[in-house]
Amino acid sequence: MPRNSIKKDNLKNNNSNVLKHRIKLLKATVFACVAIILVRLFFIQIIEHGSWVAKADEQHTILETITPKRGEIYMMDKGEPVTVVLNQTTYEVVIDPTVTKKEDIEKVANDYVKDYLVNDIDEVYNQTGLRYSIIAKNIPRNIAEQIADSGIPAIWLKKINQRVYPENELGSSLLGFMNSDGIGQYGVEGSLNDVLTGKEGLIKTTADVNKVALSIGNDNVKIPAEDGKNIVLSIDRGLERGVEEISSEIIESSAATNAAVLIMNPRNGQVLAMSSLPNYNPARYSQIEDASIYLNQTTDVPYEPASICKNFAFSAAINEGVMTSDTTYFNQGYEIVDDWKIDNAEQRSSLYGTLTMKDALYWSLNTGSIYALKLLGGNPNSINQQGREKLYDYYHNKFRLGQITGIELFEAEGMIPDPNEGWGRDSTYANMTFGQNVGLTMVQTASAFSAVVNGGTWYTPTVVKGYYQDGKITNPDDIREKNPLIEDKILSDETSAMMRDMLINNRSYKGDRPGFSIGGKSGTAQVIRNGAYDDSFSELVGSYIGFIAPSGEMPEYIIMTKMWGEGQSIGSGEAMNLFDALSGFLIDYYKIKPGAA
Amino acid sequence: MKTRKHKSDLIILFSTLGLMALGLITIYAIGPMRAQVLNSTYGTNYDSNYFFLGQLRSVALALVAFFAAFKWIPYDYLKKFAKPLMIVALILSGLLWLLALTGSSLAKCELGECRWFNFGVFSFQPAELLKLALVIYMADFIARKKEEGTIGNWKEFWLPLIVVCGLALLMVIKAQGDLGTGVALISIIFGTLFASGISSKQYLIMVAVVLIGAVGAIISSPHRMERVDAWVATISGDEGTDSTYHINNAMLAIGVGGMFGVGIGNSVQATGYLPESINDSVFAIMGETFGFVGLFLVILVFTALLTRMLKVAEYTQDYENRLLIVGVFAWTLAQIVVNIMAMTGLVPVTGITLPLLSYGGTSIIFIAFAIGLVLQLSCYTSREVIVKNESISSRRGERRSYHSSRRRSS
Repeated sequence: MPRNSIKKDNLKNNNSNVLKHRIKLLKATVFACVAIILVRLFFIQIIEHGSWVAKADEQHTILETITPKRGEIYMMDKGEPVTVVLNQTTYEVVIDPTVTKKEDIEKVANDYVKDYLVNDIDEVYNQTGLRYSIIAKNIPRNIAEQIADSGIPAIWLKKINQRVYPENELGSSLLGFMNSDGIGQYGVEGSLNDVLTGKEGLIKTTADVNKVALSIGNDNVKIPAEDGKNIVLSIDRGLERGVEEISSEIIESSAATNAAVLIMNPRNGQVLAMSSLPNYNPARYSQIEDASIYLNQTTDVPYEPASICKNFAFSAAINEGVMTSDTTYFNQGYEIVDDWKIDNAEQRSSLYGTLTMKDALYWSLNTGSIYALKLLGGNPNSINQQGREKLYDYYHNKFRLGQITGIELFEAEGMIPDPNEGWGRDSTYANMTFGQNVGLTMVQTASAFSAVVNGGTWYTPTVVKGYYQDGKITNPDDIREKNPLIEDKILSDETSAMMRDMLINNRSYKGDRPGFSIGGKSGTAQVIRNGAYDDSFSELVGSYIGFIAPSGEMPEYIIMTKMWGEGQSIGSGEAMNLFDALSGFLIDYYKIKPGAA
Repeated sequence: MKTRKHKSDLIILFSTLGLMALGLITIYAIGPMRAQVLNSTYGTNYDSNYFFLGQLRSVALALVAFFAAFKWIPYDYLKKFAKPLMIVALILSGLLWLLALTGSSLAKCELGECRWFNFGVFSFQPAELLKLALVIYMADFIARKKEEGTIGNWKEFWLPLIVVCGLALLMVIKAQGDLGTGVALISIIFGTLFASGISSKQYLIMVAVVLIGAVGAIISSPHRMERVDAWVATISGDEGTDSTYHINNAMLAIGVGGMFGVGIGNSVQATGYLPESINDSVFAIMGETFGFVGLFLVILVFTALLTRMLKVAEYTQDYENRLLIVGVFAWTLAQIVVNIMAMTGLVPVTGITLPLLSYGGTSIIFIAFAIGLVLQLSCYTSREVIVKNESISSRRGERRSYHSSRRRSS
């Protein structure tokens, strides 16, 4: 027993020591754990702090651009701006099948957006791996607000900005359209896209996991968006509509398939109507297969206005003082230049002999305009360098043909051949006097023609009247910076007056309305195929340009028409018919009072 | 024979109350964000004060539990119910398992793990009761065996221990998929056995067996393996899965805090980026809010609490009381260390609450009760270090019981 007892005592003492030791061990464990944790925390919070902050910024910060409101486009109507392109906000219902409850979206579908569904809900939920899905589209704002107010969770409304064209096809090639990326294409939408778009705003903010902005964070940034400018065009909506209707009728009654019309005020270059038929609906631009339909034929496409250019050759010679309307020359029906025979289109035998320049313009004789070129060179018998250089100076530098005019639209440059380069320069320049071997746009031609008849001043053509803000039309500063309006006196008053007389004389057989002075000139051009004139005359483009003025007054309106059709021989007669119809319409539309004379 | 009652350990008292208050402040700051995230993501309709009021209720109940254990329920009385309490806790866990298997609405499940009884207005996690019951049971069981002199005996000691502890671990890890609580239970078992004075050889064998079992449990569960993989991926810098997301965002919150933190109410991670921001991940949010200095202080308070418990244990003469204190210590230590280490990427995420700070009613109430018991026992420490008294008092006690048992048997 005593032995046993001693053994037990030893055990107890051992045990006590063991316990003492073990409590110490537990304490050591606590301190070891604390030490490890503190070192780790120091590492994460102090040493790695910067990189975690960077990671957090990446995760917490949302950068969101604020889309500015796109500017609207107006035309004028009876002196008041009217909207022809505007914005509409519609909404899409978007769900995430992994979050949105099916009964919730079914309720929304049945109660609110029955007519706007674009996707089958069952199908969306049956497909696996699908996240965000559009259920309904084109939902008007009031319905979207109802959905938002209903408080049904996990239904997202996506705002879609749509461009609306209430006039449908009216002026489509002038207006252009907005593509699905929100970028303007063609027309004013395209050329003035920057102005219409405005400036994006920026929100930089700390957001929660659902991308909802938080008030936490010091470097939250908000730069407000700058809305796009509302643009008022100088285009008259009623006139534009009339022009397009009449053009359509003439197309219908002729072999032509296309017609382009440009009406401008020769006193300031303002364009009042600009159309290229056939039109398209800009809201459904994507349904057009042939992209050439988008083209504005008055600015985008250079062509040969043909005999219309005789006005410019005649003006040059008259303005240089080497020719008057009464100057005579001998017309033998053709001219040989650079071993190249140039015929008159009009070959009636009664014209053989000595003619005045006025007659030459009346009958549109190529020999007449070639004679003007000879006179410019100071030698009535042949074309020379001086003549070529003078004609180039007038065509290119004064009338600004073959140059960008500066109208606020996309423009083709066109082409005027150099007077001293290339082969067959004389024949090229002989052709240029009657509008061949050049590439000109209608707007270039009409602007030059304005100068011919308005007293000799060239004005930059313009379609923009101003910005429209709070019921007021203001000066479109930033557009003018890019497209300044130039006023350049290039011809003498006398030259212009003489040209007007000859142009009125051109229509002497017409019997225009009494009390009005209407002058005009036609042009029929062959089509260039594979770099050469198509001498079969199987396809012709007819043009006509003219002015309208109350008798005894300066011209107020210029109308230029162009008609053509693929494979169709459209003479200037159709274009003149269009001009005649339009001039009558215009006088009625503006209720222009006839002049006294 | 008892030491005369004296004042309780003030450090344990105030660190406990301080931590509860801090938890309340943190939940007050981030509760509204939690509510908003849940509302906007799941269409729920939580009031912005919902979580704060919930925590306020929990803290109030926890205080009641704390003072009940501290003042009103003598441990000497409570330990008489050690066995029935353990049986009730096991039955409740078993019942939950059955309810979950039958798909009853009384079992509340989250992410496929059914850990709560659902009683409508409140829910109850039996695993928390199980932890408390196990602490009390272990202390009682080992003390009884000590009195019987059968500690370390295979048939009398290890076998019943394995059955009871095994059952508890089975309920928690297998049925409830709760490795976090499993770790806490194992820590309680390890701690009380460590303090029981069993031979080091037996102890080490036991630890080895349990560790092998734990590795087996982890490998056998794809869900747990994923967390381990995620942890490895985070350590090695790979990213991308949902589990790495949790660890990454916890560390991001802590890292953003820097030295002094972003301040109360300025946590961005709490606005939905960090999962479980108000419960299991509250430490990370505190790191973001209060910075290194704040976490240092929190850890200091935890360390004070833990070391004071050990001190109380050291000066406690009664064997069973000491075992209970060490049990509570082990439980608290496990939760603190595993939670914080998970948040800092040192161990895989196990889903364990941070004692006294995390949102979650059952957890805070039971740990408060357990610490309350320690506080109660802190009133009975001797002035001398336990070991000296131990030999005298326990010898006396031992002898008596030894003889009495002997006598009975003879």
